[in-house]
Amino acid sequence: MLNWLERETGLVSAWQRFWAQPLPATVGWGHIFGALTLLCLAILFVTGGAMMFYYSPTPDQAYPSVQYMERFLPFGKFIRALHYWAARLIVPLIIIHLVRAFLWGAYKKPRQMIWVTGVLLLLCVIGFGLTGYALPWDQKAYWGTAVRLKIAEGIPFIGHAIANFLKGGEQIGAVTLMRFYVLHVFVLPILTFLLVAWHIRQVHHLGVAPAWVRVGDEGAVPKTQRLHPDHTFRIAIGAIIFTALLLWFAARYPAPLEPRANPLDTAYKPHPDFYVLWLHELLKLFPPDWEFVGSFVLPTVLVLLLIAVPFLDRSPERHPLQRLPAITTGLTVLFAIIVLNIKGMEALPKPENLSPLERRGRELFVELRCYSCHGINGGGGPIGPDLGLGGKRDPKKVEAILRNPGAFNAHTVMPAYNLPPDDMKALVAYIVSLGPHSRMPPIPPVEPEKPPSHFEDNWLITHKFEVRKDPQSCQSCHKPFFCQACHQQRRPSSHLRPDWLKFHFGNAADELRTCDTCHTPDYCADCHRLTRHDTAWLRQHGATLTKFGETKRFGATTLHQLCYQCHTRQSCDECHQGALPESHKVPDFLQRHGELAKSGDKTMATANRQANAQTCATCHTQAFCTNCHMGAKPKSHEQPNFVAQGIRGAGRGKSGHALEALRKGVQSCATCHEQKFCANCHGMPMPHPQGFVRTHIQEARRNLALCQRCHDWGEQSCRQCHAKRPPSHTADFRETHPQRLADGGASCQVCHGRNACADCHRLPMPHPDNFLHAHGELAKGQQGNERQRVQNLHRQLCAHCHTIAYCRKCHLLGNP
Amino acid sequence: MATTEWTRRRWLDWFVKAAAFLVTALFGLPTLAFVVLPAFRRSRTQWLKVGRLDEFRPNEPTAITLTFQRRDGWVIRTVRRTVYVVVKPDGSVKVLSNICTHANCAVRWEHQKRAFFCPCHDGYFDLNGKVISGPPPRPLDELPHRLQGGFLFVRV
Repeated sequence: MLNWLERETGLVSAWQRFWAQPLPATVGWGHIFGALTLLCLAILFVTGGAMMFYYSPTPDQAYPSVQYMERFLPFGKFIRALHYWAARLIVPLIIIHLVRAFLWGAYKKPRQMIWVTGVLLLLCVIGFGLTGYALPWDQKAYWGTAVRLKIAEGIPFIGHAIANFLKGGEQIGAVTLMRFYVLHVFVLPILTFLLVAWHIRQVHHLGVAPAWVRVGDEGAVPKTQRLHPDHTFRIAIGAIIFTALLLWFAARYPAPLEPRANPLDTAYKPHPDFYVLWLHELLKLFPPDWEFVGSFVLPTVLVLLLIAVPFLDRSPERHPLQRLPAITTGLTVLFAIIVLNIKGMEALPKPENLSPLERRGRELFVELRCYSCHGINGGGGPIGPDLGLGGKRDPKKVEAILRNPGAFNAHTVMPAYNLPPDDMKALVAYIVSLGPHSRMPPIPPVEPEKPPSHFEDNWLITHKFEVRKDPQSCQSCHKPFFCQACHQQRRPSSHLRPDWLKFHFGNAADELRTCDTCHTPDYCADCHRLTRHDTAWLRQHGATLTKFGETKRFGATTLHQLCYQCHTRQSCDECHQGALPESHKVPDFLQRHGELAKSGDKTMATANRQANAQTCATCHTQAFCTNCHMGAKPKSHEQPNFVAQGIRGAGRGKSGHALEALRKGVQSCATCHEQKFCANCHGMPMPHPQGFVRTHIQEARRNLALCQRCHDWGEQSCRQCHAKRPPSHTADFRETHPQRLADGGASCQVCHGRNACADCHRLPMPHPDNFLHAHGELAKGQQGNERQRVQNLHRQLCAHCHTIAYCRKCHLLGNP
Repeated sequence: MATTEWTRRRWLDWFVKAAAFLVTALFGLPTLAFVVLPAFRRSRTQWLKVGRLDEFRPNEPTAITLTFQRRDGWVIRTVRRTVYVVVKPDGSVKVLSNICTHANCAVRWEHQKRAFFCPCHDGYFDLNGKVISGPPPRPLDELPHRLQGGFLFVRV
């Protein structure tokens, strides 16, 4: 294999020669840093190249693709962390390498171009840093880029042009990101590769500068070692230490990823990376109009000076002590930069240092999605207040607000959070800890991304219209019960109508998907449990309603009432117009339907259902019965003693209809007869109204005969009250009662029976009309002569009331 | 060959090569895994409810359009697939993909011909998905399905 390669290209021997090259004796540990820098660069290339397989350089895809790498790919987090930390370690490495070269005077003739390419490589690395920074397109990337481009704009004359070139237009957006990406993965790598090739080639060609030897005296230094393995050993040790350091950093501290870039979020404060802090500190020394001096002029001068070092310091001396001016200048500048950097680091906001409890609270903050409404110094949602602002919070008040936000603001859409005590304590602790130094915690990927509509100012108000237009548009991202998060506290305006329960049916029938936005599908089942109007329900609702219509209750409402909340009576007609319930399909229904109207009758062949007149009322009005029953009597009316009582006298009972009425209740009559129908015979409405016991005296006095139509004077019911003597029976009643009787003795019958008078009088009282003429006949039945007959008669019958002298009113003695 | 002694040079040589190998492995292997392993990952399958079994007519393929979400990298896509559900008189169910096994065109059921027809190259499949005529090399793909509670579920 190798032979073939050697034959074709001669590279194998060239490779071997390279590694075997002799080096001056004074090349030592100080000379490993170039190689280490190259190693770092190689790592950056490899990890960067790997990430290119997955990264997508458009504003909406950049962030999710980075999150995808971090979360879903094997070693994704690790590779990204390696790239991040290698990028941060390469700058110190280059500085060390540069300072070493400076102190060793390695830039002197003939190696000036090595130095120049080295400085250009430093600029390339800085360029890599600036472009790579923007690629994740998180808040830091976006806003950091915005700041830097603003600084570029500040350059006099050409600033705007440079900034627009970098931006790819007037705005920071998709074109900007693409440019930065192409600069980062194509332009700069090519440049870097060419510069590195030149740099290394020159080192190889011109040899490594021996330490501190005068220019021209290099030949005097013996070359006692080889690159490999003498010097490579040192490099290897350095490489192992560097690898260990880098791996430890990458494993322990993953690359940060802030929340996704939000160009509308002006509350976010970007902070520069640590190695440019000195520049920011420098900026502060200049008044605003002169800022470009600090941001552009000074750094440019510095860079130019750096490049020009080999041409400024031309002395042939390499030893540091022989070129003090250069050394002191260089070290002073370095020192100044370091001091400024440290000062800058102190000015940085303190990193968040959370206790374990607060950390748990932060977890909850993310879990409960508080960020969807609240920001923390930027980020999050625009609906609730930014929690980084507002000063120190009182833990008790925070907890109270969490438990019942409505108590503090009636119009809030914040849902209530009643967490278990440990979680509540943690969340409160975290919220209380938030301040100007806090940052929004990293948010796990919430896919898919918010559409632009959600970032509009009044989205909270206008989303209602979008939902109405198309309820399903939300469902491409939100689960249906998402709406409950806010609508727990706040119902849609439609639900606030008092008769919503009645009318929601219409809304639901019209567009069921609108309900889906808040309610899960089985929400309807809560009320509609027995009445899921599907095919099975249609078949069974007759039976269900018959059985449970009045007995099954949902709270205070019966099943029937529940139906009527949505349906009117006419709703039944929609189907039953023509469609008969099962019960009507029995062949002899017409004959037997009377039984259906009876309550509690289980003899119906169609079912063991309890049917009553109410069941008929579901479809038929009362008037319906009269369609037939006008003239046609029910069977019950055909019994012999239905209307009137049986034979008068002992043993007679109530009339048939009275028995019916007593047994089934008067309502059974009401199916055909109005109440006043009873009065036709009874002279008063039937049954007796409540309280009749008190009022019947008046009725009885008025017309006792009415009572007699139904009531037997021997009835228990009368006797219960009338067992005692009525107040009218005073001491002289015996004498006075003939005059006092107002109703011809009818009321006496209540207690004394039908023949009350006869008990005493032995004659019907009062005397009938023709008694005057007929009373003589009475004597005929007596024995003896006329005088004896009259005397006997008088003694038997008349003596109760009349003395014999009374007869003299008409009868003269001796004259019949 | 005479055994070369372990000189300092040889030790150093070995050490440097070992160190180079170690460093390469430590950085290279995770990178390789990062780039290569996801290619071997199985995409997640999901069970979709198609409908009630008794709503399908026997011996009559019913075209059902399944709409579901599938993750494609970092993007969630709504994917539409058409399948044909064939219920046999004996109650067994076949769920056939509508993708022709020849060149991935969509087949459709021709009622008159009682066959699935692919318009691209005149391929015909019978009720069970077997090739009747035309260029398709193998029968229509069947999707795994199961019945639960009277409902048909299909795995995509």
